Amino acid sequence: MVAKNSAGKRSAAILDPKAVARLKERFQKQNVALVVAFFAILLVAPLLPGFKGWMAGQAALVIVYIIAAQGVSILCGYTGLVSVGHGGFLAIGAYTAALLTKHLALDLILSVIAGAITAGFVGMLMGLIFLRLAGPFMAIGTLGFAFFVGAVVNNVKVFEGREGISLPPNRIFGQVIGDTEFYYVAVAFLAGVTIFIFSLVRSSLGRALKSLRDAEKAAQSCGVNRLQYRTLAFTVSATITGAAGALNGLITHYVSAEVYSDIWYSVDILVAAVVGGSAMLMGPIVGGTFVAMLPFVLETLADFSFILKGAVLIAVLMFAPAGVCEVVARPFRAWRRRRLEVAGHGTTPPAPELRVVASKGEP
Amino acid sequence: MASILRCEHVTVRFGGVVACDDVSLEVEEGRIVGLIGPNGAGKTTLFNVLTRFQDHDQGHVYLHDKLIDGRKPHEMIGLGMARTFQNINLFGEQSTLDNILIGAHRLTGGPIGNLYSLPHARRRESALAKRATEIAAMLGLSDELDNAVKNLPYGYQKRVEIARALAGEPKLILLDEPVAGCNDEETAELREVVRRINKDLGITIVMVEHDMSMVMNVCDYIYVVNFGANLAQGTPAEIRANPAVIKAYLGEEVEA
Repeated sequence: MVAKNSAGKRSAAILDPKAVARLKERFQKQNVALVVAFFAILLVAPLLPGFKGWMAGQAALVIVYIIAAQGVSILCGYTGLVSVGHGGFLAIGAYTAALLTKHLALDLILSVIAGAITAGFVGMLMGLIFLRLAGPFMAIGTLGFAFFVGAVVNNVKVFEGREGISLPPNRIFGQVIGDTEFYYVAVAFLAGVTIFIFSLVRSSLGRALKSLRDAEKAAQSCGVNRLQYRTLAFTVSATITGAAGALNGLITHYVSAEVYSDIWYSVDILVAAVVGGSAMLMGPIVGGTFVAMLPFVLETLADFSFILKGAVLIAVLMFAPAGVCEVVARPFRAWRRRRLEVAGHGTTPPAPELRVVASKGEP
Repeated sequence: MASILRCEHVTVRFGGVVACDDVSLEVEEGRIVGLIGPNGAGKTTLFNVLTRFQDHDQGHVYLHDKLIDGRKPHEMIGLGMARTFQNINLFGEQSTLDNILIGAHRLTGGPIGNLYSLPHARRRESALAKRATEIAAMLGLSDELDNAVKNLPYGYQKRVEIARALAGEPKLILLDEPVAGCNDEETAELREVVRRINKDLGITIVMVEHDMSMVMNVCDYIYVVNFGANLAQGTPAEIRANPAVIKAYLGEEVEA
């Protein structure tokens, strides 16, 4: 069936759809190349001459922040829900891995996976509760969850409270590994999570999550089961943050309530996700790096990092609510759109005439 | 003819306000049925009851003679019923193609095992995209597939909503004011679209509409509600001649 009504045509028909498709494929490849280049830098970094032993541990911590922010970004970016309690999942991941490492001397990678799964399972249960709450109430609920986890690790004996759990050296296949090896393990996890998110947001699953974010009722009318999909997003988000928590505990060889009962972890990873731009693949990478590096950059003024983080967060929310990466990407996207138009029409089409839109859809 | 959608004695109360008062209607398969009434007559509430976005206090709703009271809104498309919304309710930031693809959500087969990197998921995606492209072509949206729908003119957005409803391969579509806010040209186009969906695809249509020329020209059968209750029903000619309808709603005779 072909459209009969050509009366309402807005723009000239696309003359060369193949050229458009080719160009789109090229842009897609460029995006992938950007991410691959980023990982290449991460892999080569420890080989550079200025790279010292202690830096590997710090670099691994930055990676951990990025992974945690990626976990949060699935929720705030693609699902449109805000959790201010993801530090709770970070803690669950860290303590699960720490206890398994201390008491069972479990392999590093298995400990991290166990931490992730435990956090994911708790995330699923929490999701089933919190997702029945609307907007701000859900945020308060997640905050309460983080405090709850904090209270548990402070007071339940097995978690050893503020004394903390000191951990033996990390092992992979029975071999003790150093910070540089650990750094590579963290990069591998980061790569896995990045590929997973890339794949998720391009799937029908990602589309359904975004549709719930943009217009809930319309999404339901299309058959999207709100509770099922949001619970799934919450679970995935908690799993990834739990993996970050496990890595965080194991790299520092020390897990204590002093650190994990603090609400600042929750705030930090939320800031990391929002500042970078949580609906973009590079967003948590940039945001996580920013938040993790800030205390180092400020050196003796590290105490001011809270103030600076707050100021940056407010500035981003005011001037670039979709995140810093979105602002940087904007001119590139506009340029690509022009390229596509030229490819499709053989020439730059005239600007479409302005029309008054009678009313706008729900935001 | 078999009834595809039926409601019996539906009553909805919002506190002291009775939005629907013992309303019954029956939609026969293959028809275009209009639901009209003055502002505040309870049309939209009834629409939401039929599509399960609103719970009713009394009465029953049947789809294909199956009771659907207590079912969830997201289950409706799986039972063959799609809908559009009164004020355009699209995924504004997303492209026309993605909007239509979300309409095909029930054909994607659940949340697990759909990751883009899996080959079978990608095959299904490309099949769905092909189908979505065909639907877009039918509605004259071929050149807009990659454009964000928030940038489209109003009449186009209305068509994207209909395209999205079609993508779930429904047997029945409920249109909530399909031409509200459209100019004459857009109204004429949408009228053709509705006719084609009904004739070429054999999809039953129920529409709430204020535009009398649209309703009288397109519908096979019309239900009139007033103050939340059934007032009249019949063919367009019968409704036009019904003194109760004229008195309650039209004020004077309608021009066709």
